[in-house]
Amino acid sequence: MSKDEITGICKENIFSSFFKSHAKSLRNYLYYKFGNEDQAEDITQEAFIKLWQNCADVPLEKAKSYLYTIANNASLNVIAHQKVVLNYAKSSPSKESTNESPEFLLEEEQFKSKLLHAIEKLNEKQRVAFLMHRIDGKKYAEIALELEISVKAVEKRIHLALLELRKEFENFK
Amino acid sequence: MEENYKLSKWLNDEMSAEELSEFQADKDFAIFEKIKKYSSELETPTFDEEKMLSKIVTSPKKEVKTISLYKNWALKIAAVFVIGIGLFFGARNFASYTEYASNGTQNTFSLPDESEVVLNSGSEIQYKKWNWDNNRSLNLEGEAFFKVAKGKKFEVNTSKGKVTVLGTQFNVKQRGNYFDVSCYEGKVKVNFGKNEFILTKGMSVAFRDGNALDIALKNNTQPEWLSDEMVFYQESLPSIVAEFERHFNIELELNATVNGQLFTGTIPAKKSDTALQILCTTYHLKPTKVTKTKIILENN
Repeated sequence: MSKDEITGICKENIFSSFFKSHAKSLRNYLYYKFGNEDQAEDITQEAFIKLWQNCADVPLEKAKSYLYTIANNASLNVIAHQKVVLNYAKSSPSKESTNESPEFLLEEEQFKSKLLHAIEKLNEKQRVAFLMHRIDGKKYAEIALELEISVKAVEKRIHLALLELRKEFENFK
Repeated sequence: MEENYKLSKWLNDEMSAEELSEFQADKDFAIFEKIKKYSSELETPTFDEEKMLSKIVTSPKKEVKTISLYKNWALKIAAVFVIGIGLFFGARNFASYTEYASNGTQNTFSLPDESEVVLNSGSEIQYKKWNWDNNRSLNLEGEAFFKVAKGKKFEVNTSKGKVTVLGTQFNVKQRGNYFDVSCYEGKVKVNFGKNEFILTKGMSVAFRDGNALDIALKNNTQPEWLSDEMVFYQESLPSIVAEFERHFNIELELNATVNGQLFTGTIPAKKSDTALQILCTTYHLKPTKVTKTKIILENN
């Protein structure tokens, strides 16, 4: 082949920085979707390998949507929905505040586990949007871009997710 | 209708102070507040980016497999064969075929549609095998008998006229200025100049120098020459001599002055001696054998 000129995403340093800025969020997105860490990481790797191999044909500005398209197509073959297992950050400030009463701490633990349970029960679309916002700290506009939906639709999914979650705490004082 | 997703607004800290204070009055506010707080403390399992990146970058780049037509010997040879075979059959089908009957012989052969042709001595036929079934047309020089298989229009072109049939048996003779067609079965259409004739079984048309000749109806089922007889109808001596030369594959030299007497009759043609005897008697000639195949005819 005569066009050996290495351009854009084919340059290793460009690819690495692209990988670093998108790998985690893609992996998390897939994780929220399937609730399975291994599957999420396999598909993330697969999508980046495809991008790497076809780097000559994918301009940098299209790379991100190329990535998500591949990941979404690959997801079609995956039987989804095992439990989404989430953890709380070890450095969560609530654990450090030791001056709380034991009663309060217990209640807090109960609330947390109930919340996790409720998130697992959300439907896939709401869960993905909600967790992208809460865990990855993404703005609605960013979520909309990645999911290829409108910002309004993201807001709707988040709104409904919150309503669903609240139902779980109906009897919580 | 614009839905107001106030919860999502609130979660994203987009609420105005007014909206917020209103929402804070909601009895569920405490629960939402807790959801917001604790969900922000969630995290996903750790993710080893570096390991994955090094795996990806070291993954072999797929080589694009290019099979070059010009580099692959097997394909080259195959291509030569395909083209060669194509040309071979193409040439066989498109080329004109020529069948001959040299002097002193007859040639029987079949056309692609199983029509039979018997060529009389010193005659030739040209035809094309390609698309024969739709275009049954051939060129005749001399005399031939046809048994045409049923099918589309069958054409015999000669320098004197055209014969068109559908499926029949007929004889076409074209010698010099003489042209005759005899039909033994079915129907035959003859075009001679501007004239058109339809012949049915037993009918003949004959022309010499462009003039029609009267020929009696025939009862036989095939031309006389197929049973080794030569039939002449008001034929001049030079024409008869030419027919003798063709039939017996001999050379005759007419070294005599003859009147314009025309000959009508049948001469048995199995043996050249007998036939020559009859001719010489009729025209008062004396045959002298010069070589094995050359005979001089002189006035008696």
